[in-house]
Order: sequence, then C-alpha cells, then structure tokens
Amino acid sequence: MGKLTGFDVARVALRTPLLQATWNYERQQGLGWAWCFAPVLARLYPDAAERHRRLAEHTAYFNTQPTMASLALGAVAGLEERVAAGEADPATVTRAKHALGSALAALGDRMFWATLRPFAACIGILPALTGSWRGAVVMWVVYNVVHLPLRFGGVSWGYRRGPEVLDPVMRHGFERLVRGLSVLGAAAVGVAIAAILAPGGEPRTVAFQASLLGGLGLGLLTAIRARPSPTQWALGLGALCLAAGWWR
Amino acid sequence: MNPAVLHTVLLGGVAALDAAPVAQTMLSQPLVIGTVLGFIWGDWVTALEVAVVLQVIAASTLPVGARTPEDYAIGGVVGVGLALALASRQPFIMAREACALLGVLGGMLAATGGVPVLKWQRRRNEGLSRWCEEALRAGDERALGAAQFAAIAVAFGVGVAYCAACLTIGVWALDGLVGRESIRLARAWGLAEPLWLGLGLAHVLHAFVQRRLARAAVFGGALIAAWLALIMGTR
Repeated sequence: MGKLTGFDVARVALRTPLLQATWNYERQQGLGWAWCFAPVLARLYPDAAERHRRLAEHTAYFNTQPTMASLALGAVAGLEERVAAGEADPATVTRAKHALGSALAALGDRMFWATLRPFAACIGILPALTGSWRGAVVMWVVYNVVHLPLRFGGVSWGYRRGPEVLDPVMRHGFERLVRGLSVLGAAAVGVAIAAILAPGGEPRTVAFQASLLGGLGLGLLTAIRARPSPTQWALGLGALCLAAGWWR
Repeated sequence: MNPAVLHTVLLGGVAALDAAPVAQTMLSQPLVIGTVLGFIWGDWVTALEVAVVLQVIAASTLPVGARTPEDYAIGGVVGVGLALALASRQPFIMAREACALLGVLGGMLAATGGVPVLKWQRRRNEGLSRWCEEALRAGDERALGAAQFAAIAVAFGVGVAYCAACLTIGVWALDGLVGRESIRLARAWGLAEPLWLGLGLAHVLHAFVQRRLARAAVFGGALIAAWLALIMGTR
C-alpha cells in the first residue's frame, strides 16, 4: 500500500475551491468531497476495483462550512491512509467525517458567514462611502487573508493533526478570533454610521439623519426575528419610499 | 452589442460561480463586483452608490447550513448593472439618483428571484450526483471530473442567462420611467437610501453585538469618536 506524499496533499488542497460545485439537497457536498479526495485514493489504492468502491463511499452525504472543510479533508486523508494499511476500520472514516463536518460547520458558520464576511463588508464600505474604489480591494483582502490560507493550508494542517484537528486549543483560538472580530466589527459599524451622517465632516440634512436613525431603529427591532428577511424589509421600505416620493 | 453590457452579463456568470460553486472568495459580493462594473462603465459614483446599499443589505444575509438565502451575487450585478445602463442613457446627471433607486430595487428583486433559480440548479445536481455514483460503481472514474465540469458550466450559463434576462427586462421597462419621472424617483431615493443603510447596518450590528453590553459600548464609543473626529477635522 502506498503512503501519501506532500504532493498528494497539495493536489487535494488545489481541488478544494470546487468542493461545492455539485452541491445538491440529497448529498450536499458529497460529490465535491469525493472529487477533492480522489488524489488520496489514487495513491492509496492501486487496485482499481477497491479504489472505485472507496470513491463511491466517499460520495455519501457530507456538509460543512466550505473553508473549514479543508481541515476535515486533511484529517480524513490521514485516517484513510490507516484504513488502506489495514490499521483501521472503514467505518472510522465515516464516523470521523460526520463528527468533523458538524463541529467544523458550527465553528465555521459563525466565523466566516456571521462574523468575518460582515466585518470585511463594514471595513470595505468605509472607503467606498467616500467614492473610492479601494473599498472593494480592502473588503476582498480582509476576507481572503483568513479564508485563502485556511482553505489551501487547512488540508496539510488537518493531515498533520488528524481527527483531533479541532482540539480545545484550536477551538479556543477560533473563538478568540470571532470575539475580536465582533468587537472590531461593532466599532466599524459605529465609524460607518458617523461617516454616513457627516461625510467629510459636513453633517447631512436633518431629514437624512432622521431617516438613517429610523432605519437603524427598525433594523434593530427586526433583527431579533429571522423572518421577514432583511431583503424583504428593504423591499417593503423601498415600496413605501417610492409611494412617498411619488405623491409628496 | 455594447461591450459594457456584454462584460456585465459575463460578470453575472463569474459572480454566480464565485457565490457557491467555485472558491467563494467574495468576488461576487455587491461592493466588489459593483466596483468592477463601475470601472467597466466609467461611472464610479452611480456604481458605488448602488453597491454600498446592496452590500450593507447582503452582509446581513447568511448562507448558513442548507438554507438558500437571497442571491446577492446576481443581485449585485443586476442592481449595479441596471443603474449604470439606465444612467448611461440619460443626458442629465440629475437622473443618476433615479437610476440608483431603480438599480437597488432591481438588485434586491433579482436577488430574491434568484432563490428558485438556485434551488432548481441544486435539484438538477441531484440527478448529476446519482448518475456520477452509478458511473463510479461501474468503474468510470472520469465521471467525477465530468460531473464537476458540467455543474460549473451550468452554473455559469444560468448566471449569464438570468443576469441578461433581468437586465433586458429592467432596461426595457424602466428606461422611459427614468426619463419621465426622474424628479419623483430622486425624491424617493433621498428617503430610501438612509433607511436602507440604517436597516442593513442595524442587522450587521446586531450580529456583532449579540446582546453584550461591552460591545454595544464599543459601538457607541466608536460612533461618537468618529463623529467628533470628522466634525473637528474640518474646523
């Protein structure tokens, strides 16, 4: 039986951007996972029939936060190596995939979708409010300075650490990052509101300031419930403003 | 065809890919894609006005778990593209705000309409997944790569087609309206822009603060400090 090389791990890492290409309601990231994982199986199972059987098993249901999936891919690659060597049962791989998928999704959804993405957006709109194109660059860089290293480096990190990749030390580190970004994000929202109220130091009209405060108040009230979504509220407000602008 | 329109429609496909099937680098976020469109059309002001509002609303829309949120990848391209296309056909700069209003509304409607389109694509991928599994069991390893390629091609094609349809309908339906009613629409923009910004920023703030008093204090402190810095800076 073969052993995984750094090249194999790098090939898996390079395939991770397409993890969600075939996302569907039945298997979710299952097919994408199998595609990312194929270089590992190609190395470990020279026998084509055995390889096809393992590949088909890896198309089973899997779902997690896509960036954090790199850690799971690396950790499971290490386990698959042990399965191929006869040191572990294939069921271990299935159990590890499920456990890592859930744990990484819980952490990753909070970190990437609920914290880092809105944080990057807030930092990005600050230059954009002054009419500068740099806002887009700032937003893209702030998000990807965390996302890209984890996406591409996560596979090798997960391979080195194995199924314990999400140990308390790492979990604590991610939690600290989320807390830090949330505090900085709250400050960024404050700065953004000040910049909207007084662009370049010139305060906007009272009507504008009152409307902004009205929007903030409505937003804070509606944010408590998931439905209607912010977009539905915004569409409703837009319709009201259109009517008000028309008949005023 | 106008090269700017062609580039906008193609960017719709790129944004559709970046949103979920390929990499998720945030290239598809309204601010980033809107800035690229501003560069293509040569109108930064309109592009950024629309992109900032759409970005603030999009930032509070979370793709958590298997939920299909509003598709702001396409919403951003359609919203900014529509505003720029309408503005480019108006002889007066005054009409820009009317175009921005219609762009934001068009972008949000396209983002909402994009949800069933995304769901259709994902259901279609179920068939692709089943076919691929059968092929793998029959010993055809290449099926995996073929399925990935097919899904990416469909996502790009659907993104381009949906974006083109929204832009065509939007420009056809709204061009005359902007010409006739730009003052009323501009008045509505004056009301809607701060309300939208406030609504979106409040949702983002809620996500950051999470009912923690210390974070609320940081927000208040930053707001006052920035306000004072801006006001004093001009004196």
